Amino acid sequence: MKISGSQRLPFPPEQSYALMQDPAVLARAIPGCQSLERTGENEYRMKMKMALAAFSGAFEGQVRISEQQPPSSFRLEVEGSGKIGFVKGGGVLKLEPSEAETMVHYDGDVQVGGTIAAVGQRLIEGAAKSMIQRFFEKLAAS
Amino acid sequence: MATTITKTKTLIGKAIRRREDPRLITGTATYVEDIKMPGMHYAVVVRSPHAAARIRSIDTSKAASRPGVVAVFTGRDVSNVGPVPCGASLPGLRVPHHTILATDRVYYAGHPVAVVVATDRYIAADAADDVEIDWEVLKAVADPVKALEPGAPAVHPEWPDNKAFDFHQEHGDVEKAFAEADVIVKQRILSQRLIPTPMETRGVVAEWRAADRALNLYSSTQIPHLLRSMVAQMLGLEENRLRVVAPEVGGGFGCKLNVYAEEALMGFVAMKINKPVKWIETRRENYLATIHGRGHVDDYELAATRDGIITGIKLRIIQDLGAYHQLLTPAIPTLSVLMMPGLYRTQNICADIVGVFTNCVPTDAYRGAGRPEATHGIERMVDILAAELKMDPAEIRLKNFVQPSEFPFPTATGLIYDSGDYAAPLRKALDIVDYQNLRREQAEARKQGRLMGIGMSTYGEICAFGPSPATPAGGWESATVKIEPSGKVTVLTGASPHGQGEETTFAQIAADELGVDIDDVLVVHGDTALVQYGIGTFGSRATAVGGTAVYFALQDLKAKIKKFGALLLNSDDVTLANGQCIDNKTGASKSVQEIAAASYRAMQLPPNTEPGMVSTHFWEPPNFTFPFGAHLVVTEIDRDTGAVKVLRYVAVDDCGNILNPLIVTGQVHGGVAQGIGQALYEQAVYDENGQLITGELMDYAVPKAHMMPWIESDHTVTPTPVNPLGVKGVGEAGTIGCSPAVVNSVVDALSPLGVRHIDMPMTPEKIWKLIRSAQ
Repeated sequence: MKISGSQRLPFPPEQSYALMQDPAVLARAIPGCQSLERTGENEYRMKMKMALAAFSGAFEGQVRISEQQPPSSFRLEVEGSGKIGFVKGGGVLKLEPSEAETMVHYDGDVQVGGTIAAVGQRLIEGAAKSMIQRFFEKLAAS
Repeated sequence: MATTITKTKTLIGKAIRRREDPRLITGTATYVEDIKMPGMHYAVVVRSPHAAARIRSIDTSKAASRPGVVAVFTGRDVSNVGPVPCGASLPGLRVPHHTILATDRVYYAGHPVAVVVATDRYIAADAADDVEIDWEVLKAVADPVKALEPGAPAVHPEWPDNKAFDFHQEHGDVEKAFAEADVIVKQRILSQRLIPTPMETRGVVAEWRAADRALNLYSSTQIPHLLRSMVAQMLGLEENRLRVVAPEVGGGFGCKLNVYAEEALMGFVAMKINKPVKWIETRRENYLATIHGRGHVDDYELAATRDGIITGIKLRIIQDLGAYHQLLTPAIPTLSVLMMPGLYRTQNICADIVGVFTNCVPTDAYRGAGRPEATHGIERMVDILAAELKMDPAEIRLKNFVQPSEFPFPTATGLIYDSGDYAAPLRKALDIVDYQNLRREQAEARKQGRLMGIGMSTYGEICAFGPSPATPAGGWESATVKIEPSGKVTVLTGASPHGQGEETTFAQIAADELGVDIDDVLVVHGDTALVQYGIGTFGSRATAVGGTAVYFALQDLKAKIKKFGALLLNSDDVTLANGQCIDNKTGASKSVQEIAAASYRAMQLPPNTEPGMVSTHFWEPPNFTFPFGAHLVVTEIDRDTGAVKVLRYVAVDDCGNILNPLIVTGQVHGGVAQGIGQALYEQAVYDENGQLITGELMDYAVPKAHMMPWIESDHTVTPTPVNPLGVKGVGEAGTIGCSPAVVNSVVDALSPLGVRHIDMPMTPEKIWKLIRSAQ
């Protein structure tokens, strides 16, 4: 499934970029994130709780950041699995100056499997959009 | 003085209410889930979330340590259990080794990997989540067309082309027919993957009686005896030590005409833990791990003369098999080839099937099993040809039908059609709707811009499976009829039903033949310890084959009743009628009940006659039967939403003699409901990674009652010469006749916009897009 869109952050690109690389900030901003631990250069282990329709469950997985071109773009890859299935996704985030602020354009692919695919496929796009929206709202407030 | 009493049939042909229904509608029937045993344990199957993956390791320690868990078994533990059987054979067929639990690799999402057994089903479910599997995820392929492309992921690494088999059949001179044709029409036609969705999911209870060395297996199955033979073999248990019981079975539609991993697995578990164990499939498991149906990509070509005579048919089938062969998986598309000429006379056919492995749950028999695909194809093609030639679809059919004088009719595919008058149901359907007038009405509607369609299908179908040479495990059926010493009648049938009402129809046959009250007749089925061997209920065979076995057992019994009656009456000239054995000279009589009692007391025996009143008959049918009919559907399409409304549904079915019109109508209604489901709503969808995204009833659109039209059901009656009851079968006809009639109607409605073909399901979105792109 393709996920793409744009969100505005009320900071200049340099600051926006730095925020999105800061594990402490990310841990607060990612919806349902319970912990984000650094495991290596640009690699993190994440625990999160996700709810979709009647299902909720804990996910454990990895987050990797690559192709960094501060302050204009980087690639983000997330992989996680839990009792209700698995999620795997990756995409490129592009930061574009917009007056004194930043427009973040994201474009990526998400794959889900297990129970969440079987029962929640039609809800995933909406859920993903709302999670992204909340992520940027929290980033904006940080 | 001679007394003449004519045998009066009183029950055959009457709308006797189903004797099964009171327990079903009051919730008092016993399904597998209702079986409770002291010390019963519960099993939950751990399934793969991936469509293709290697298993690096499985850690069951956390699951096993949860309080209440008694055992966790993985593929390694069950290595001595034999593979899940494939009963079909084709030349060069590649058969993957199908273990009951995956060992090093999984091939579809839902593939069983481990089983957790606990004292309570909730503990088992929680512990199943504790099983930790380290996966190496592999590339999967879910689309059969993509699976055939070079470089596609290999479902089974040993067969990189993903082909399970190639099959070819031809007859006549097809190339000549196409070379000389005035017109050739071509179309790719899809019959999508469907999920059978019986109301009751699968379920198994296994009870190992170690002291008796006996395994009792209760399973929601259509084939208790075949299941016993095959599970005994899988478990290495002597067949006479295994008893299979099919209690009440809440629907099957073919998906329980199978032997599943879980059936052998529960036997294994019970023998290991020495306690009864129950496994009940959840609906989500049912969608992931019970067979699906259809899955065809068909390329058709029809050759015809300018005046609409079909002279040749070419067909190439791509059959999505899924990851494995279940019991009959590769045989199903061969049934499509058998039925590809439909009711039409052409002797020039050429068919190719390629059976394709995909990382999906296997396909297998689902109501109609191969024949709906064939009927959908030929009936769509005939309409496409009619449109090409600007002929009326009824007229072109009437021109091509096999004629009543031509029976028995050898088809191009090697069948012998038994009997028929194919024009009769079509003419009847046309009369019912007042066809000419309806076409005028349609022309008026079109002038007003309304999208109204009239569509028909004239289907033929193969029933009464079947002669043994054409059926993998034998195509006969067995019956035992006993008159107990008290005069009560017990009928034992091998055709274990799962909703077909045999307890009613078979009792009608017995009560009429013996002249006893129907309430004195009990029909027993579904228990291998009670019933002599049997084949089961599928392929619209129960009444035509199983009922005929009952009929012949009754004939033997009647001869015996007459022998004892003659002895008791001291006569050499007796007649059996209305439950009485009558001395034709004196008029003196003895009742069937009195005679039965005397046969057990055995104070006197007729010459060369054994005591008792029991007869068993195994009946081998000499041919299939070939029912037929015409379905006519009037639709109107909402231009703004693309929604299809069925205004009229007329079904005229000829299933031979009708034993019970209530049951026949019920079968037609149920069949049409599933046909409409396929035509308008249902589709099993796997995403490109092999994840089933229609994994529950929220996403898989089984039609609800309010989505059904009123079905005007009528009949013509052409008895079959194949069996003495003259019955052909009706279990699948509704489904087979339905989908092409609905699609033909919708295509007709949209034809002013230039629409020539639509693939199923015809969802509002699909229709709306067609309307938009035409505007």
